[in-house]
Amino acid sequence: MTQPVSSSMKPRESRRREQVAVFSIAQYSFVISAASVQEIRSTDSLGGTVVDLDRPVMKKVRHIVERDGRAYYVVSGYEHFHLPQSRPTTVLILRSAPVAVLVDRIEEMAEMRVLLSLPQSFRGEERMWYRGLTVMDRKVLPVANPQGFLTAGELQQLEEQNPGLLQSAAAHQLERGRV
Amino acid sequence: MTAEAASLVPSFVVFQVGSRRVALARDCVAELIASPLQFSFPHTTPLITGVVLRRGRIVPVLDLGPGLLGVPSPPARFFLVVERRTSDISERCAIPVQGECELVAGVMLPADGKDEYVSGSMDLNQEQIDVLDLEKAIAGGAMRAEETITAAEALS
Repeated sequence: MTQPVSSSMKPRESRRREQVAVFSIAQYSFVISAASVQEIRSTDSLGGTVVDLDRPVMKKVRHIVERDGRAYYVVSGYEHFHLPQSRPTTVLILRSAPVAVLVDRIEEMAEMRVLLSLPQSFRGEERMWYRGLTVMDRKVLPVANPQGFLTAGELQQLEEQNPGLLQSAAAHQLERGRV
Repeated sequence: MTAEAASLVPSFVVFQVGSRRVALARDCVAELIASPLQFSFPHTTPLITGVVLRRGRIVPVLDLGPGLLGVPSPPARFFLVVERRTSDISERCAIPVQGECELVAGVMLPADGKDEYVSGSMDLNQEQIDVLDLEKAIAGGAMRAEETITAAEALS
């Protein structure tokens, strides 16, 4: 994985490249490492496998989705980034966390050549949201942190308020697969 | 005044934020840049309106309007690049400015204490220009912007 350098670019030869997906929510574009995404699906193709949370403890998470014997909390991308309501058509199922992120659309798959650290003047939630910034096609884009969509504390809170729901949803999906 | 004596007189960069003319000590100003392309993305830090790319560096754009004027400053043609140096921040930021900037030498008189972010004032052609304490101006503006957001949320 590309390690963040300081907020200035290093000589080309020292940069490590990384495959990324560029996605959009509302009018903004974001980058996420392709290695952190297990699957990219259209929201239409998930219809039958979505379960409502018993107790939605945060606005950005209201459902669980089941895929291949695993269950994921569905995080609304626009709620997560405090953006106006958008029209998600695509879901990014993450690899390293039980999280599926609703985004408006995938713009492209590309290669990220540089990862710059977020300037220190940024002091808010964005320090958790982003791994840093990158420059692609002469545009500065934020690089999403896969662990930032749901922090360990938020995951714990969801589990405490909906005990066993994630496991039972996954088990239910596995059972249905066997029938 | 000899050249040696003149070099001892502090110099200031006088600039305009919206309708207000203010100054910063010369040593915290790096450069003045014209209309760079500004990029924005979601974040929650008050006063930051985006970032610009300058000589391969990402420079955050900080609007002093909320602190100095009570409202965001109007669209700017120029950005003053300043050095922020605090215990936990050491980086350049760009401040959108309206109108022209001037580099002037002068003596700073003590502040009257009216605004906490003013460290003193200087006379420029018989106009009293407030000299800013940059970090206090940023902190005060951020606090004001946060209060505005909280009030708006309470009303919604």
